[in-house]
Amino acid sequence: MKNLINFLIQYSVVFLFLFLEIISFTLIVKNQEYQKSVFLSSSNSVVSSMYEWSNSVVEFFKLRAANDNLSEENTALKNQIIKLENKLVTLEKVTPDSVHFRIPPEMEYQFIAAKVIKCTTNKLQNYITLDKGALDGIKIDMGVVSDEGVVGIVKNVSPKFSVVIPILNPKIEISCKFKRNNYSGSLLWNGVDYRYANLTDIARHVELSLGDTLITSGLTSTFPEGIPVGSVEDFKIKESDAYYRIKVKLAVNFRTLSYVKVINYLNFQEQKDLEKKSEEQ
Amino acid sequence: MPTVLQNIFRFILLVLFQVLVLDNIQFLGFVNPYLYILFIIALPVQTPRWFSLILAFVIGITVGIFSNIPGPHAFATVLVAFSRDGIIKLFTQIEEGNNPTPSFYTFGVSAYIKYVVLLVLIHNFTLFILESFSFINFWLLLSKIILSSVVTILLILGFQSIKTK
Repeated sequence: MKNLINFLIQYSVVFLFLFLEIISFTLIVKNQEYQKSVFLSSSNSVVSSMYEWSNSVVEFFKLRAANDNLSEENTALKNQIIKLENKLVTLEKVTPDSVHFRIPPEMEYQFIAAKVIKCTTNKLQNYITLDKGALDGIKIDMGVVSDEGVVGIVKNVSPKFSVVIPILNPKIEISCKFKRNNYSGSLLWNGVDYRYANLTDIARHVELSLGDTLITSGLTSTFPEGIPVGSVEDFKIKESDAYYRIKVKLAVNFRTLSYVKVINYLNFQEQKDLEKKSEEQ
Repeated sequence: MPTVLQNIFRFILLVLFQVLVLDNIQFLGFVNPYLYILFIIALPVQTPRWFSLILAFVIGITVGIFSNIPGPHAFATVLVAFSRDGIIKLFTQIEEGNNPTPSFYTFGVSAYIKYVVLLVLIHNFTLFILESFSFINFWLLLSKIILSSVVTILLILGFQSIKTK
């Protein structure tokens, strides 16, 4: 016992030293999150770093699938919105006009389903032949669309067949506009690539961004407003230019086109006559 | 008790100087001299060991709290205070009953320089290693330790040579 006390007294300084160092070390470990975390995790830092690395790699691959899913879902939802908007527009009651006969808006356009039996995409002037003609109600200058978007305009009609000038033909220009800000221009094919066409008449003050959606303007009687045409793929403007050179990715893939709908605008003749009359006066 | 008063003043002055001036010097980006260790270096030789340990702990904690890292500072200063006696005995022959304050005059120039260099190195090594808590940037750590030690040693020796006694 005496020895023990002597021992303790003799080494009291050492014990004090150890005591103070332990306090300091506790401070180091407890007071600072960084040191704390290092201290606590240093034993498995290799494992954890490897885990982190592998997780980051796996996550990267998963991201792609997630992205695809999201964009698909996004398009589906967007389509739904468009459908609902269209429904909403048709449901809004126009003030009834009892005196004059009037075709209600939702009846203004009728669709005639047709099958593409011939379609070229690699020529400078491409044409599409449909398996329906005058007997089915198709007339010259009717618009043709597919589920994806605008295809072209009916050029010639025989009793059983009809020929369509698609967008892929420099002979026609489709009047279209930006969905975002309603600026309209005309779409013209440059004869090179069946996936792309050029949009002209967009002045330089118009704000553009890549991916802007183009829809039909409804300014011509051929197509109702709002049918997708394409999206902006690329645009350029030189210092001296007044108009943009816009490259548009077409909504319709003409290589895989098989079923189309011909638009029958019931008021077409009336509108045309009125316009003609006005011009003559 | 002039020695006690002197040491109290030294304590306050060194802590203030360290915290207000030296901790703001980031010479070359990483040279941070720790002059406050001079307080422990300059404690009278016969100070009871337990007392010097506690004093070292207090000054370490004080300076450390200001720079937000009390642990490493306290650890390093306590270690310095603990190893001080042995180093004094190693380099000098102080007679029993004498209680000089370490300086060029009492220790002799070479012994004092060795004493200071060794203590500062112990302090800086412990402090920087505990502060970084890793050897990832080993060469940066080493250069930090060496440069800070050199500056600290030069400062301490300079202060001592200015003193007139």
